[in-house]
Amino acid sequence: MGKNLNINVHHLTRVEGHGNIVVNAKDGRIEKIRWEVPEAPRFFEAMVRGHSYEDIQTIVSRICGICSISHSLSAIKAVENALGIEVSEQTDMLRHLMHYSEQMQSHSLHIGYLAAPDFFGAPSVVPLVSKAIDVVKTIVRIHRIANEWSDLVAGRTTHPVTIIPGGFTKVPTPEQLVQLQNTLKNTIKDINTLADVVLSVASALPKFERETEYVSLKQTNPPTYTFYHGDIASTDTDKAMPVKNWQKVANEYMTEQSTAKWAKWHRESYMVGAIARFNINADLLCDEAKQTAKMFSLKKGCCNPYMNTIAQLVECVHLFHASIKLIDRILTKGLVSEKVKVKVRAGRGAGCTEAPRGILFHEYEFDKNGKCLAADMCIPTNQNHANIQKDMEKLVPQIIDEGEDAVRQKLEMLVRAYDPCISCSTHMLDIRFKK
Amino acid sequence: MKKELLVAGLGNPLMSDEGIGVHILNRLLQDSDKYPFAEFIDAGTAGINLLHLISNRKKVIIIDCAYMNTGPGTLKRFVPEEAETIKKLAVQSLHEADILKIIEMSALLGEKPREIIIFGIEPQAVEPGNNISRKLEEKMIFYVSEISKDIRF
Repeated sequence: MGKNLNINVHHLTRVEGHGNIVVNAKDGRIEKIRWEVPEAPRFFEAMVRGHSYEDIQTIVSRICGICSISHSLSAIKAVENALGIEVSEQTDMLRHLMHYSEQMQSHSLHIGYLAAPDFFGAPSVVPLVSKAIDVVKTIVRIHRIANEWSDLVAGRTTHPVTIIPGGFTKVPTPEQLVQLQNTLKNTIKDINTLADVVLSVASALPKFERETEYVSLKQTNPPTYTFYHGDIASTDTDKAMPVKNWQKVANEYMTEQSTAKWAKWHRESYMVGAIARFNINADLLCDEAKQTAKMFSLKKGCCNPYMNTIAQLVECVHLFHASIKLIDRILTKGLVSEKVKVKVRAGRGAGCTEAPRGILFHEYEFDKNGKCLAADMCIPTNQNHANIQKDMEKLVPQIIDEGEDAVRQKLEMLVRAYDPCISCSTHMLDIRFKK
Repeated sequence: MKKELLVAGLGNPLMSDEGIGVHILNRLLQDSDKYPFAEFIDAGTAGINLLHLISNRKKVIIIDCAYMNTGPGTLKRFVPEEAETIKKLAVQSLHEADILKIIEMSALLGEKPREIIIFGIEPQAVEPGNNISRKLEEKMIFYVSEISKDIRF
């Protein structure tokens, strides 16, 4: 009994940018399985060349409408490493708080607007409003608070304006931080509601496993569930790699099915993102987040890529509790106005943060006047492409008998689970006027 | 406290004419003192974050690059009800957001502003680059003057 499949998802929806899924099978024999990325390259690396070290974080923040804080922070860390700039504890804490807000914005968006429609069998979040208005209102509330949180610390919801090499141009007042902390405390019940709702539909997540390598930051001093500091760790080795050697991790290469570069480290593919961070750092989650993981039977060593969305949910719980504690620390230390002094010099430096969708590397070289001579960036989605392809190659033979619609649906959900960000630099309207 | 009127410029200023909304917003900002009741926001590629920016305002003016099947540089003023999206990705995403769908969602959530006006500008070039094309640059004064007429209740 042979099965025929002819799947051609051109322009997959509810992911960032353009990705295609192509699967062909004849009489049960699989002829083709391809995850294609036809997105046009955008040359940001060339665009920053010639610009001053002071402008880099502003320019690269426009790479992405959702990871703009992570891009800015990775860039600023690279600039500071290149120029030998040290930052104060206050700056470090405020950057963490800013970074946490972006993780919350992005995770709540992915879980609530992009993945939830799959769980509820709706084509998108718009029809979901009529189907489950209370659920959508909870999601919108969480997402709105995360946006206001970014507004406060970054000066803007997207494309931050308050950070400069060495520090901040403007810091929040203690009163504003107390207000934010109260808002976060009051929102914990919404996060718990969201976790309960996702748990009630979690059976929609396919039970698929493929062992692979997971890569994320790991911070040992002090041990922290990190998004910001640390070395590059892998589930394939106990030896962490310093960020300056990131190119030995990513080993980027070209493939004919994609305009984006692919990556591999100890084996033919690796995965980055929330599930990678969880698999490497789960012991360091707060107790409440550990409890959420338990609700979903999510354990360290999980190799079901669909569980990435659940790992994001677990991180949401952690981020809320970690931020409430962080605000206490900032307020205890007291906020002071700091002057940033930079001695410009020639140099090269790399910087890294965990973007919501995985580890993100930036590297820059500057001349003695602080003018950018070269730039290199490696985004998380590119590091995941090869892993998506390998997942598809294992998954399709397992589900081929379920029929074309089911196979298509599971493949689309697989790609969405990676929360990919293929391109986000253009968004324009494309409209027709009604007669 | 949110101001009752929002002027939002959308787009990516690193993608030439795609960033026209942000470029116009920056020009409008130079005269923002004249409009103390209005908030001017460079919303960049904020995508679905627009849902929060517009919520519960009285009036919203959105300025964005738009393929409208008109000549490059054309400025069109319209309300959401006059247009329908023909975007291939006509469902929500993060950045590839469809403004008309966001407005629909805002209405379903019961927080849609009473009045929304969209100014669409047909691009000439959408490609990597910091500057807008000459054709659009030459019409900048016209764009600013036309849009300014709507910054009132």
